[in-house]
Amino acid sequence: MKTLFSLVAGLYAILVTQFIAADTLRVVIENVASSEGNIMLEILSTEAEFNGESPAVAAIIQRAQTGKMTFTTDALPPGEYAIRVMHDKNGNGELDSNFVGIPKEPWAFSNNATGKFGPPKWQAAKFALDGESTQAIALNQ
Amino acid sequence: MTTRRLFLQSLAVAGAGLATRTSAAGDTGRGDWANQFAAAREQHPWLLGYQGIQEKSLSSRATLSGEWPADLTGTLFRNGPAQHEVAGFRYQHWFDGDGMLQAFRMQPDGVTHNAKLVATHKLLAEEKAGRALYPAFGSTPPQPAPVTSPDAVNVANISVLHHHNKLLALWEAGSPWEMNTKTLDTRGPYEFTADLPPNSLSGVPFSAHPRVEPDGTLWNFGYVSNAKLLVLWHINPAGRVVKMGRIPMDPITMVHDFIVTQNHIVVLVPPLHFEPAGDGLSFLDNHHWRPADATRVLVVEKDNFNNHFFLELPAQWVFHFGNGWEDKHGIIRFDGARAPDPSLMLTSFRDIMRGQISPARHAEHHQYRIDTKQRRVAEMPLFAQGLSAEFPSIDPRVSCRRNQRLLFMCRDMTAARQPAHTGLNAVATFDYASGQRHTYVYPDSQIPEEHLFVPHPASAPETRGWILGTALDWQQGRTLLNVFDGARVEEGPLATATLPYVVPLGLHGKFVGA
Repeated sequence: MKTLFSLVAGLYAILVTQFIAADTLRVVIENVASSEGNIMLEILSTEAEFNGESPAVAAIIQRAQTGKMTFTTDALPPGEYAIRVMHDKNGNGELDSNFVGIPKEPWAFSNNATGKFGPPKWQAAKFALDGESTQAIALNQ
Repeated sequence: MTTRRLFLQSLAVAGAGLATRTSAAGDTGRGDWANQFAAAREQHPWLLGYQGIQEKSLSSRATLSGEWPADLTGTLFRNGPAQHEVAGFRYQHWFDGDGMLQAFRMQPDGVTHNAKLVATHKLLAEEKAGRALYPAFGSTPPQPAPVTSPDAVNVANISVLHHHNKLLALWEAGSPWEMNTKTLDTRGPYEFTADLPPNSLSGVPFSAHPRVEPDGTLWNFGYVSNAKLLVLWHINPAGRVVKMGRIPMDPITMVHDFIVTQNHIVVLVPPLHFEPAGDGLSFLDNHHWRPADATRVLVVEKDNFNNHFFLELPAQWVFHFGNGWEDKHGIIRFDGARAPDPSLMLTSFRDIMRGQISPARHAEHHQYRIDTKQRRVAEMPLFAQGLSAEFPSIDPRVSCRRNQRLLFMCRDMTAARQPAHTGLNAVATFDYASGQRHTYVYPDSQIPEEHLFVPHPASAPETRGWILGTALDWQQGRTLLNVFDGARVEEGPLATATLPYVVPLGLHGKFVGA
């Protein structure tokens, strides 16, 4: 699991150097309930990525800090994106779930999108990155 | 499994069973539901039972009439949807309201009553916000807050369980809610102990109708709509999970009650399919009745949940079963209140919240037989056509074993004279061996609720005991608790404990002896 994230983080590093005409995306994660484990962000540039059919264009992992955390990247070209966030409290690299698959750890999506009978759709979570953009995302507890 | 896939799979069921948008039922404005209900109450004063509670708690000593049996001591706990309006928003289905747990305590010096709204996460969040926030079973308030887990919208409003000295208020799509037995104060969501990682059972659906064997072994089920799963619970008398099961169920439907015998679990899966049909629909409205499809009959071995098979019956809707048992030849017998369709839930229990009386197909009691070796199922009516029946129950000491007697609420739809209200109006006992049925018909001014058989403490199973049940006297504006001689229900109540107020019509209860 951590290997996967290392790989995606590597991809992120490549992106940082490749895109010259990049825009600035600021992501503010609110409602971080504790400093246990890590905050994991996935930046998704297509519906296929959003649906898990292909790898995220970028991923960021940081030690959790209680309250508010801010992430900034200048590496992304203009376009449509969505963000998926989870608070991996026990640091196992996964969103732990209960016996029937309901998440036990906090999660959220860009636009604070929530789904009807499940996760939100790409249409609800996507946003345009053009110039500077800020996404304030509150984790669900 | 990748993080991403896990993440998606987890979220796929996060909102299972929950709606997050507005209800489709809003052909009239939301404020209109309260206005329409108020206007209808002028015409139909018995609608008092569906008005809903304003108070968070009730407490009083009951006034006794008749002779209360000296040996009958203990507590009748009851639950039901009670708060039907939140900050001006009136719910659009009877099953939506916040649960209120009641305790009728019977002691040598009389009967006392107290009741409290279950302080669920949902109730507390809405009190803090000063408005209705969350989608309920059949309706959704304006600008609903996102639903992130089933327990965020758990209203703990259907039933109550007393097991391993815990008092639990039950919903059916999330965790049981633990209550203080003496004060009825809310302790919070309850997680059974298990050999699983922490919180693994938090929010896992636990139906409102667990079956408890005479030795205290508990069985239950739950359905997870979006994950298309049926969950099975096996819990020992000390409240520890022995095993859990997950059975894929596609299409997934709504299941309210089930049957447990000596060796098997039986679940009737009606063709009320969960087919999310787009935005703007409540959880209930995302279910679709498919009368051309079969009711699947799932038969599961208690010892090994992996061993199961399906049989088929014609489309039907059974809210409640009385009891099930199995003979040495592997023949299962059980009884249930069988309606041809769920129109009562889909239409009547919705419309009554705006005071509209909508006809529905009533349930008639049926007997079922499953041959587990030949894998065949059959059904037949227990009584003559036209006897509407519901809330079947038995002496709890023969639960999941052969029962001789049945207790149920009913209404003779063929009678020339019908009461003013639309509810059931009688309590009846039935003896399988003699075929005799005895009935007490309530006065028209009273709407009886579920009645239970309470064994005499020194009696053998299915012999001496009482029948205990509540009723709403809508003319007097009082809730009553009646006690009958279990062998002579037709003679009417031995005694009545009258409360100085109305408790909204509720659902299910349990008696706990002193």
